[in-house]
Amino acid sequence: MIPTIILAVCVMLALAGVFAVLLGWANVRWHVHVPDQLQHLMDAMPGANCGGCGYIGCSEYAEAVFHEGAPPDKCPVGGSAVAQRIAEIMGIEHIEGVPSRPVVLCGADFDARLKRPEYRGEPTCSAAVMVAGVQGCTFGCLGLGDCVEVCKFDAIHIVNGLAVVDYEKCVGCGACVRACPRNIIQMVPFHADAMAVVACSNLDPGKVVRGDCTVGCIGCGICAKLDDIFTIADNNASIDYDRYQADTDLSAAIEKCPRKTIRYVGK
Amino acid sequence: MGIVTDILFIALATAVINNLVLINFVGICPFLGVSRRIDTAFGMGCAVTFVITIAGSATWLISHFALVPGSALVNAINSVAAGSVKDLLFLQYIIFIFVIAGMVQLVEMYVRKFAPALYKALGVFLPLITTNCAILFACLTIAKSPELTDNFLFALVYSFFGGIGFTLAIVLMAGIREELETADIPEPLKGPGITLITAGLMALAFMGFKGMAG
Repeated sequence: MIPTIILAVCVMLALAGVFAVLLGWANVRWHVHVPDQLQHLMDAMPGANCGGCGYIGCSEYAEAVFHEGAPPDKCPVGGSAVAQRIAEIMGIEHIEGVPSRPVVLCGADFDARLKRPEYRGEPTCSAAVMVAGVQGCTFGCLGLGDCVEVCKFDAIHIVNGLAVVDYEKCVGCGACVRACPRNIIQMVPFHADAMAVVACSNLDPGKVVRGDCTVGCIGCGICAKLDDIFTIADNNASIDYDRYQADTDLSAAIEKCPRKTIRYVGK
Repeated sequence: MGIVTDILFIALATAVINNLVLINFVGICPFLGVSRRIDTAFGMGCAVTFVITIAGSATWLISHFALVPGSALVNAINSVAAGSVKDLLFLQYIIFIFVIAGMVQLVEMYVRKFAPALYKALGVFLPLITTNCAILFACLTIAKSPELTDNFLFALVYSFFGGIGFTLAIVLMAGIREELETADIPEPLKGPGITLITAGLMALAFMGFKGMAG
């Protein structure tokens, strides 16, 4: 006659023993070898799992670097420090790149918009963009914050009806670019801390733009006459960022712009 | 009735009529937690089906050979010290949990080594469902109902279709929730509120199957 408690203890101990041996054996027998280099790569990643590199997560990117030789400078969160570290681990040369940051190609805050009928639908940009006449301009920021919603770094906010990037916090993952239903957020290579941008993407003729807001580009071409870095196409000025250098001075164009559309953004 | 009819009845009764989530209310946690996107919901459903089948068969074997009256282990104990125990069913819960956790761990290692693609698809979910109550529920139901306890094949079919039922429920839920993303939901009901209401309505709808197939 064995007391129940002793029986229970014995059975559980035996079971624990069996599983300990089984799992221990399995761990050795089916051990998956992770190469040291790959392990170091995974440790070097910032671990934000934001997907800014174009891969599913940090470990996915580490594997891509390790197996397929993906370039080391894809991580927007870690920037050049992580790129340097990855290049070191992989033993390859790393050329310092220029970080890309999003720029909102609209400068019209609520006060600058002239036509602003009341919109009472679902408060997201992706819903509002389907409705005609939410605001006069069909290219401008809707200010309902789809970009704010997707930003994992609290780096973009709606200020008086206009999306404004906080460049101190922004890491350039590009989530806001993908979220914007009007495609007015663009990734721009930041050659300097503060970059001149044409904060408008309206392709309508100047007369229409004048009716929509007070700061939209009317395609007058004054900036293009002052500096050939500007080009006018479809009634809208744009800057050739490939030719933009850290010491490029566009203050004359900024001063002369009759609509004050060209402005500095950045730190 | 023939064996095929029996199996079909068990399959239907488990997957739809006595759906684990919507009728028995087990496995609610992954049902609400991982049902935001159809593809992840389907991955979770597959992982649960996989684990529930393995756990169901493993616990059936353990139950059959070690726990019930007259089983090998009980007889062995009684032959050493006569009349010690009638059965070991009082250890059922703890042994089942133990076995499920151990099996999942073992299977995870095996899959990681020999089927990396499968590991990639299920890997995130496997540790999550180790102690999922739906799995323990299925194992205990098998141990409780006589027709399942006596026949290994029926127990296997029961556990597999329990998992299929879970997958059905979670994928339906994910489909509805994807639609809800763009719906105009009243402010106080957003998020968990509308999800729970949806789950309740789905459970009501599944009550319509009650009484079918015995």
